[in-house]
Amino acid sequence: MFEPTKRNAALPALLLALALPQSGISAQVSTRLQAGAVMSAAPGLVPANALSLTPDVRYHSQVLSLAASGSAWLDGNSWEFADGDATATVTTPTRHHLSAQLIANASREYYDRINQNDQIDARARVHLVFSQQGGMWLESGVARPWRVAVVSSVDVAGAGAWTQVGGATITGTYTNFSFTKIGSASDSNGTLQSCANQADNSRCLRQSHFSDVQGTVHWEKSSVELNAQTGYRFGDANDVTPDSRRWASASAVVWLSPDMAMVVGGGRQPANPARGLPARNYANLGVMFSAWPAMTEGAVPIESRASAISQFDIAAAGASLQRIQVHIAGVQTVEVMGDFTDWQPIDMVQRGRDLWEALLPIASGVHQLNVRVDGGKWQPPPNTPTMRDGFNGEVGVLVIRR
Amino acid sequence: MTPRHLFRRGMAALLALGVTAPMLAGQGTDPLAKLDTASRRVVLALVDSANAEGLPTAPIVSKAQEGVSKHAAGPLIARVVRTVFLSLREARATLGEHANRDELTAGAAALQAGIPATALIDLRQAGHGKSITVPLVVLADLVSRGVPRDTASRAILQLWMGGAGEADLMGLSQSVGQDILSGAAPADALLSRARKVPIRLPPAKVPE
Repeated sequence: MFEPTKRNAALPALLLALALPQSGISAQVSTRLQAGAVMSAAPGLVPANALSLTPDVRYHSQVLSLAASGSAWLDGNSWEFADGDATATVTTPTRHHLSAQLIANASREYYDRINQNDQIDARARVHLVFSQQGGMWLESGVARPWRVAVVSSVDVAGAGAWTQVGGATITGTYTNFSFTKIGSASDSNGTLQSCANQADNSRCLRQSHFSDVQGTVHWEKSSVELNAQTGYRFGDANDVTPDSRRWASASAVVWLSPDMAMVVGGGRQPANPARGLPARNYANLGVMFSAWPAMTEGAVPIESRASAISQFDIAAAGASLQRIQVHIAGVQTVEVMGDFTDWQPIDMVQRGRDLWEALLPIASGVHQLNVRVDGGKWQPPPNTPTMRDGFNGEVGVLVIRR
Repeated sequence: MTPRHLFRRGMAALLALGVTAPMLAGQGTDPLAKLDTASRRVVLALVDSANAEGLPTAPIVSKAQEGVSKHAAGPLIARVVRTVFLSLREARATLGEHANRDELTAGAAALQAGIPATALIDLRQAGHGKSITVPLVVLADLVSRGVPRDTASRAILQLWMGGAGEADLMGLSQSVGQDILSGAAPADALLSRARKVPIRLPPAKVPE
């Protein structure tokens, strides 16, 4: 996978995320820490083994999401700051099946002491969503890497589509990259290339283009999450090295408790020509600790993560408050509304891998309510009596006793 | 007046506006503000009528708010709210003047689900003064899940007469719902589950 938009400036974003108020129940901060071993091997380079610590902090509200992560590697006898990534995403509400996203990112990529650099980028996406079961998007953006041979910004344009089949989310993407770089006067086969602007006998300024087609499958059930992806790169021999034509990788997360998981993964990562990073094979094994773990990694848009609510509970939490809990894994947002909220949607707060919660004042008596997952259809929660709402839907009925 | 004074006054005015505007906006919150004029007029008239008749107005306003939140068309909202009003009125006529707000709300829901008024009267008489809110909620739920009205009415009445508690009835609603989702016929699911409700009821009294 070639992602010139990922990974520095992690610290300011992290501080921002921590400083932001949680604004009652409409936003939340989640944190993760992964500790483990990473083994990687790039052609012609000494294989690297390292112990890594990877903290991850996210702030998420309906409109704004901030994510910051970094990793420190034990290189020899000293810890070294390695990768870093900070992303801000603004998402509009979905109207008439359409929503828009603006994404800003700053990152640092670290392969070893030689192969490392930084990049900032911005992208805009337009999503078309079909009944939470599928959708597509178009995107365009620009990235600016530093400390590499690329002498222009990288223009990025692409499209993607996703669908849900059973418990799996399948995503396909096409992304085109275009930029100017200082390259060798000959291609990877040794053939001399014509240069528009010759820098000297061995180097010239070249316009580079290549396109990635990638497929991803995400599946999760109960305490297991699986991710697999494969891709193919189109482009001429100047831009695409033979070791980056095809790639594949997979990872598995097994949750041992709501706060701790085993993580294992491996595969092949293609070269990143815009950032001057070579292809490499890698494997990782670690333990992940999580506090209110939020989103599962993946390029799937917010609207795609709907799945069934497995449990719904309501219990008194003080004199006039009721604690509403919904158990559902792998989703981005859960909302509740009812006569006790004047039918205004309230964001529930994630309190565990699959636990969402809202604390609301609900008087004793008979109440009607609905819940909604990932902006989908308003539905009655499971295991509550239901009745028709008169608007082609159903509501759940609560009987609250003191 | 010097430019500095003008600037200060301008800033003071802006500050005052910033402080008071949200307060004024809060005071003017109208739960039906998003309804079109004609539909809003209908809903307000129904609220007035409910007030005049001593019926609870909260379910009427709430249904209108629900319709707005669910992006229903104004005329449809007005029609549904009118149904709620008429059901509340019928529930009160059926359950009597002493029916509390929850019973009226649940009774109205049962009537909207198509439960005959006589079933509500039977439950009231069998309850010996107990609140019939939960039996009515469960009855409306069963019918909305596809259980025939007569079957549901008879089963709940028998269980209620046999001393089934509110928790029993709520559990029944839950298990019947699960059975139906698993593919059972709604009536069969109810009759099968009703037999398992832990009450001292002669078998013959459970409807077959």
